[in-house]
Amino acid sequence: MKTIAKKKSDIKLALVLLLPAILLVLLLVAYPMLSNIKISFFDQPINPRLPADFVGFKNYSDIIKDAAFYKSLGLTILYTVLTVIGSTAVGLAIALFFNRPFKFRKTARSLIILSYVTPSISLVFAWKYMFNNSYGIVNYLGTDVFHIFKNAPLWFDNPVSSFLVVVIFAIWKYFPYAFISFLAILQTIDKSLFEAADIDGATLWQKFKVVTLPAIMPVLLTVVTLRFIWMFYMFTDVYLLTNKVNILGIYLYQTAFAFNDLGKASSISVILFIILFIVIIVARKRVNLNGSN
Amino acid sequence: MAVTSKKNKLLKKTGFYIGLVLLLGVMLFPFFIMLMTSLKSSKEAISTSPTLLPKVWTFQHYIDIFNPTIFPYINYFKNSLIVALIAASISVAFGILGAYALSKLKFKGRVTINASFYTVYMFSGILLVVPLFKIISGLGLYDTRLALIITMIVQTLPTAIFMLKSYFDTIPEDLEEAAMIDGLSRLKIIFYIIIPLSISGIVSVFVYAFMIAWNDYLFASIFLSSSENFTLPIGLNTLFSTPDYVWGRMMAASLVTALPVVGMYALSERFIKGNLTEGGVKG
Repeated sequence: MKTIAKKKSDIKLALVLLLPAILLVLLLVAYPMLSNIKISFFDQPINPRLPADFVGFKNYSDIIKDAAFYKSLGLTILYTVLTVIGSTAVGLAIALFFNRPFKFRKTARSLIILSYVTPSISLVFAWKYMFNNSYGIVNYLGTDVFHIFKNAPLWFDNPVSSFLVVVIFAIWKYFPYAFISFLAILQTIDKSLFEAADIDGATLWQKFKVVTLPAIMPVLLTVVTLRFIWMFYMFTDVYLLTNKVNILGIYLYQTAFAFNDLGKASSISVILFIILFIVIIVARKRVNLNGSN
Repeated sequence: MAVTSKKNKLLKKTGFYIGLVLLLGVMLFPFFIMLMTSLKSSKEAISTSPTLLPKVWTFQHYIDIFNPTIFPYINYFKNSLIVALIAASISVAFGILGAYALSKLKFKGRVTINASFYTVYMFSGILLVVPLFKIISGLGLYDTRLALIITMIVQTLPTAIFMLKSYFDTIPEDLEEAAMIDGLSRLKIIFYIIIPLSISGIVSVFVYAFMIAWNDYLFASIFLSSSENFTLPIGLNTLFSTPDYVWGRMMAASLVTALPVVGMYALSERFIKGNLTEGGVKG
């Protein structure tokens, strides 16, 4: 009797407590998601009071015929793959380096994470300054001091070098996320496993492959999947650094707010969403995306 | 034999510390450049043979950014503070209620709700820009701080619930049962038992939400159009696009902009066990 009464009161209370969160998410996440699909079939003016014309699949066929879309998609995949591999590898390497007792460990750990917690807007100015064509420290060191480049590269004037800067920036900014995740799991590995491997005469690489890698595998998969998703729809960092690297996030933003073509922008969102959805479905089978191990 | 192994150990240790210093040097180099440029004169900052340290040290740029006749920094700072504080507070408040329901109450649909919040944690951002713009301007909220506050609450709430739930899950149920026998209502239990016991988690979630709102550029750039409503990221970027930016001033502004979030992070790192950097937070 008592448990039934308790159950009944639970659902009522639960709904009341969850109401603000559910309402907000429904109104400003779920509804916009669906609304995206609807807008993608319309020629939507930027002024919400003007009527929108139904255009069927025109926005989609425009995108499929747009060479800029494929260029952007290719660039986005390259950007995502390079930054995910880079930030994960650097994060793992530094986590392995930190996985021992030493003085100032906590301070060093906090300092290493600094690029991750600092707002992009602050970091971007420093990078633009460092890579400035005429008075940046990178060109000064590369050309005048170490003579690596014959002619000082015009970093942000050229799509290839801009892309390079944007990738290095992302690896530098986001490796601490992988670092923190790996360091936490590395500390849980039983030290006796390494001792046993030492007795068997295992090399450093063998120890990594047989002991470390299997232990960190679940975290590795989670880190890679989440970082992949986040990098795939990156906008801010790249947009603030350069106008020469049109990844999908920027292609979408410009279609919407520079060319005022909201319908086409919505269809780009839908395509992006479908790609990410496939990634998540594939990843879900192997990866514990709940972050808890 | 013993001597050589001792020597080896010392060598290894020295090597490690040299490696550590080099590593930190490389990773922190942009911060060093920022700080030094903010302390150089404007002329020195654009010298083609740059020096690491300023030849003449000056605090002028820091004085300038707080002078409203030169630089609207204080106004941007105030806007950012309002948006981030309100958004983070509401996100934490709604988050506590929602997380409590998902953690401690048993009801149908709990798993589904939990999973859908988690999906939101992975998405959003640029994917929702067009419809959100349409909704916000349809509601007449275009170019208001309120638009940004609401968006930031929604952006952070799913993660807030997700993080808080994992804190609440660690609170033993016996405690609550005992309180119920004493006649405490559920709401009182939240206030007198759950919140005090997970205060460190709540602070971490607040810091996380504050950071997301403080750092946001995307939504500020589509919702705000008049300079008096600008938050720091969009305000600074707009100033940078004008021809009369001064490097030292931009660097000083960048550092002061980073200060609140880095400070909060450092404090939570120091005083809170199991803080946000251990859970793996979106970013």
